[in-house]
Amino acid sequence: MKVSLDMVLKDIPGQLVKALEPISEYGGNIISIVHLREAIKGGRVPVHITFEVKDPDRLNKIVNELEKRDIWVSKLGEVKRKEKIVVVITGHIVDTDLRDTIDRLNEIEGVMVADVALAMPDPEKESSARMEIEVSGHAKVKKALERLEEIAEEKDLFIIKSLWGGRQ
Amino acid sequence: MKVQLVGFGNIGQGFAQVLLKKTRSLRERYGIDLQVVSISDISGTAIDEKGLNLQKALATMEKTGKIIDYPGAKKISGLEAIEEVPADVVVEATPSNIETGEPGMSHMLKAFEIGKHVVTSNKGPLALSFKKLKEAASKTGVEFKYEATAGGAMPIINLARECLSGDDIIAIEGILNGTTNYILTGMHRKESPFDIVLRESQELGIAEADPSYDIDGIDTASKLVILANALMGMDVSYKDVRVKGIRRVTLEAVKLAKEEGYVIKLIGEVRNSRLEVSPRLVPVNHPLNVDGALNVAMFETDIAGEITIVGKGAGAIETNSALLSDIISIWRKRS
Ligand SMILES: NC(=O)c1ccc[n+]([C@@H]2O[C@H](COP(=O)([O-])OP(=O)(O)OC[C@H]3O[C@@H](n4cnc5c(N)ncnc54)[C@H](OP(=O)(O)O)[C@@H]3O)[C@@H](O)[C@H]2O)c1
Repeated sequence: MKVSLDMVLKDIPGQLVKALEPISEYGGNIISIVHLREAIKGGRVPVHITFEVKDPDRLNKIVNELEKRDIWVSKLGEVKRKEKIVVVITGHIVDTDLRDTIDRLNEIEGVMVADVALAMPDPEKESSARMEIEVSGHAKVKKALERLEEIAEEKDLFIIKSLWGGRQ
Repeated sequence: MKVQLVGFGNIGQGFAQVLLKKTRSLRERYGIDLQVVSISDISGTAIDEKGLNLQKALATMEKTGKIIDYPGAKKISGLEAIEEVPADVVVEATPSNIETGEPGMSHMLKAFEIGKHVVTSNKGPLALSFKKLKEAASKTGVEFKYEATAGGAMPIINLARECLSGDDIIAIEGILNGTTNYILTGMHRKESPFDIVLRESQELGIAEADPSYDIDGIDTASKLVILANALMGMDVSYKDVRVKGIRRVTLEAVKLAKEEGYVIKLIGEVRNSRLEVSPRLVPVNHPLNVDGALNVAMFETDIAGEITIVGKGAGAIETNSALLSDIISIWRKRS
């Protein structure tokens, strides 16, 4: 899992090393460190670190260790990887309210329709669309596809999804 | 080894042709002496306990299209032939029927009951009642072989059973129907609409006059059921598959997919106890993207990872590679 962590360090030498040690000790892989020197307040400097760690258990251990070392963790969160799902849809896509279809997908937290390419060869006939959906985290892929299937059922649309779980 | 042929259409006649070509090499390589002691179709049965003249049987079909016109053939049915004519193996190649499984189901059950091995290319009975057939075979201790039913010439079942015998199969996905692959490949390459490519494939004899069995995904679903039961220890039948065919795949859909580097293929997939047949977007550089009427299957296993096999999923001669290998494996087991 990718983790984003904000902490506040004393502005004296050796502090950063003290903060990074627990991360590497538990197998964390540091991706970036941002020192917000312009935000120094009362001799303390905010630092933003992004790192990769195997599981929540190890993350807990890292945070405990930081606290033991008297380092204040002000914010902690998982950075969800963005995944892209591509689907192709056929049917009366426009007549069945494309806006509504998109809205109902966007309603799901962490899901966003990023692009729709529409082809309508003949107003009488069914149209086709390619939809790109951005989701944060793999669990959302399934949610988004389930919602899409639900809408398809209701509006008699035909969904062509990519191979397993949007795997590329 | 005495063989009975029930069903003498494309596959049955292909079997006779392959035997004519292979008799010597089979004897030399394996010491098998295969004799076809009866051939049945709807019209009746040709019988010769010392082995029929296959050349003559094929010539009879050429001339009249009915096995009853073979000299001395009798008006007895395939089922009666199985009951009455002494033989070791029944090769069942009658039409696949996904609603009742007949006539194949009765043929197979009768063969098992009286202790004859069965080798078949007929999917219908297996897609409906796999377990019942397996149990009937094991009751009398005979072999039940069906390599040809799922992959045509692709040795998909043997590959999994023999070569991946220590692995657990997590998922199987693939293109298990040549006709739909031919149509979708045509739409993609020539950018022609579904109806036109379908008509063209009917003219070429690739699609049937009534193509619904293929294009509505029924054929793919039957094969998927057989794979799930045979290789993943499931107990499912045709009705457990979520099936969507390719009728609603528009040319525009194909083009929209193409723009993003995908081809649309009718994919059968078993994963997490779920069976699904549906058109899917396959990246152009993915191993499942095979052209024309080819079939392909990909296994995902716990040890080997992904293994892919590509080959002809049908064909009167090609499919007989599977029937023949099944017969050879029965022979080897017995001797
Ligand atoms: N063709 C392929 O490439 C292929 C590939 C894989 C699997 N298969 C499967 O193999 C089987 C045979 O296919 P095929 O292409 O050879 O079909 P086919 O050309 O239609 O031949 C079917 C044969 O079965 C006979 N038959 C029908 N009902 C019968 C009965 N009650 N008793 C005895 N014979 C009967 C037919 O006789 P009449 O001609 O007198 O009606 C005909 O000789 C099917 O189940 C098919 O799904 C085919």
